[in-house]
Amino acid sequence: MRSMNKSGLLIRLAVVMVFSSLAVGFISSQLFYRLTYLGEVDKSKKQISELYKTVSATASIAAYLSDHELAKEVVVGLATNGVVQGAIMEFGDEVVSTDMEGKENIIQFDLHSPFEQGRIVGHLSMIPDPAYIQLRAKEIGLDNAKALIAQASAATLIAIIIIYLMITQPMIYISKSLHKTTPGTSKRLIIPEFHQNSELGDLVVDINNLLSNTQQQLAAEQTLRDDLELLEKRFRMIFESSQSPIILMEPRGSILLYNHAFTKLLDKINTDIKKNFGALLGELFKEPETLLKNVRLAFANDEISTGEYQIVSSLDEKPIWVHVVASSIISEDMKEYYQLTLHDISKRKKELDKLNIRANYDQMTQLLNRHAGEKNIQKLIYEKQEFVVILMDLNGFKEINDKYGHDCGDEILINVANILKYSVRHDDFSCRWGGDEFVIILTGVDKEAIRIIVKKMLLKINEPYFLSAHKQEVSVGASIGAAFHPKDSTEMLGLVQMADKAMYHTKQSRASGKALDLTFADEVDD
Amino acid sequence: MARLKITLLVILLQLLAIDGLAAEQDLVVVVNINNPTSKMSKSQVIDLFMGRYIAFPNGEKATPIDLIDEQDIKIFFYQNLVGMSLARVNAYWSRVKFTGRVKPSVKVPSETELIQHMNSSPLSIGYMERRNLTKHLKVVYALNE
Repeated sequence: MRSMNKSGLLIRLAVVMVFSSLAVGFISSQLFYRLTYLGEVDKSKKQISELYKTVSATASIAAYLSDHELAKEVVVGLATNGVVQGAIMEFGDEVVSTDMEGKENIIQFDLHSPFEQGRIVGHLSMIPDPAYIQLRAKEIGLDNAKALIAQASAATLIAIIIIYLMITQPMIYISKSLHKTTPGTSKRLIIPEFHQNSELGDLVVDINNLLSNTQQQLAAEQTLRDDLELLEKRFRMIFESSQSPIILMEPRGSILLYNHAFTKLLDKINTDIKKNFGALLGELFKEPETLLKNVRLAFANDEISTGEYQIVSSLDEKPIWVHVVASSIISEDMKEYYQLTLHDISKRKKELDKLNIRANYDQMTQLLNRHAGEKNIQKLIYEKQEFVVILMDLNGFKEINDKYGHDCGDEILINVANILKYSVRHDDFSCRWGGDEFVIILTGVDKEAIRIIVKKMLLKINEPYFLSAHKQEVSVGASIGAAFHPKDSTEMLGLVQMADKAMYHTKQSRASGKALDLTFADEVDD
Repeated sequence: MARLKITLLVILLQLLAIDGLAAEQDLVVVVNINNPTSKMSKSQVIDLFMGRYIAFPNGEKATPIDLIDEQDIKIFFYQNLVGMSLARVNAYWSRVKFTGRVKPSVKVPSETELIQHMNSSPLSIGYMERRNLTKHLKVVYALNE
């Protein structure tokens, strides 16, 4: 039981009270004993004086007559008295005494002549018995001590009972109630009976105030915690459900936080998650240097860095492009973190590429269109490259088109376009200039090489073509003109016009029966 | 004749003395004329009569002579010497005698016999009225001095 606790208030109090009452009892008994002893010594002196008075007549006679026997009788008689340890009579030269142990505190009386007052005939001395006095003092002292102990015990018992009823019991009650009370609940302590205005009552009131405050505080904290949890949940939702990978990292590349989208991205490129993919996830990008350069530049200007970068991936046919948003965050403890958000733009990139193709290529022949061809020529001029512009016009196409229809004409054009595609090197290009006109650009070739190439091309173009729709073989020819940059012209328009002139010259030659395949611009006379 | 006259005078004086006993008696302590002691103090007289000493100051053994019964002269003597009634003196003696150590004085029936005894005993000491002094005796202490 809690109330019987060894260090409980009541036990402690009882121990202290018992010990202090014992100590006080002990000290006061000692004091009493001392006083009693001194009193007893006084008393014994008085008793001895009385004794003297009683025996003085006989003692005087004995001394007067030097009567040894009588003196002996007197001293022996005195010694039988408890208070006297020993007695001595001196008269003349004689000394009569009883056996004795010491001669301390000796009390001497004069013995007068029985017949003449004032004539001293001897002395009677008595020695008080210290043991007897002590014994008596002890007896009295013991009685006193007993009385004191009884009194102290009674007082202690009463005090303990009162303290138990008045203080300890209510305190234990308060303590137990408090023990059973959980802070934050609406439960309060009850003020013990008769303590409405006591310090214990005040204590209970204070405890209850404290409990109320705690309850309010806990409630407020709970609300705050709930809000925070909700907020955190939402943040987590945003973060986790984001389709774009979000990564929080240290400037040196250690990843602190990443979302599900990031792992999905890594899955897509068959890479296992690592703690560090290098600064700004450099290992994941095809051109990390560009990314690093751009990001550092932006951060140096306190700006957010945005840019489009390609992710390294084994499947080259499906390139992954991401729009990277990188920002630098300085935390409250002055640490720098980088936040990276990667938006997948692969699809858009693909569509853009498609758009690009549509804009630059001839839908039907899949050759570059005139617009793209002109742009490429401009670019080569800008780069001051040496190249040749070869202009080709089909012969006999119009007739086939008119005779068999547009579909058949288109078939012929696609066939020629395919021949052109496979006849030029990778770095060169060909394009559909319009109608049945084509332009081929070759770099780093001389006239002889051109002649060989053109001859090969024409061989294939001249081959009869089977029109499956009409089960009919048809064939077309081509007239070709070529102009060199920068020898013939340094301008696109000039080059094309000169090539066109040369081509016209070729076409004319057919009419004159010479039947040229190819004419160079510098061979044409104005 | 002279002897008769003296005797008559003594009788007269005795009469007077008896008559003045209540008032004043001229008692003296006497010893034989041959006793070397010529003068004693009151204490010395007390000591001899009350049994403390049994010798004169010079060391000669002394024999105190007292009267029997309660005679006026005896009453007067003790009253004046130790300030006690005869009853108390007797009580004293009875107590002292009990121990058997002290020898009480020799008792004679009358002053006359005391004088007769004293006349022939050089080591005796006694008391009497001054007027009864003989030539064989001498005063060593006077009670009314």
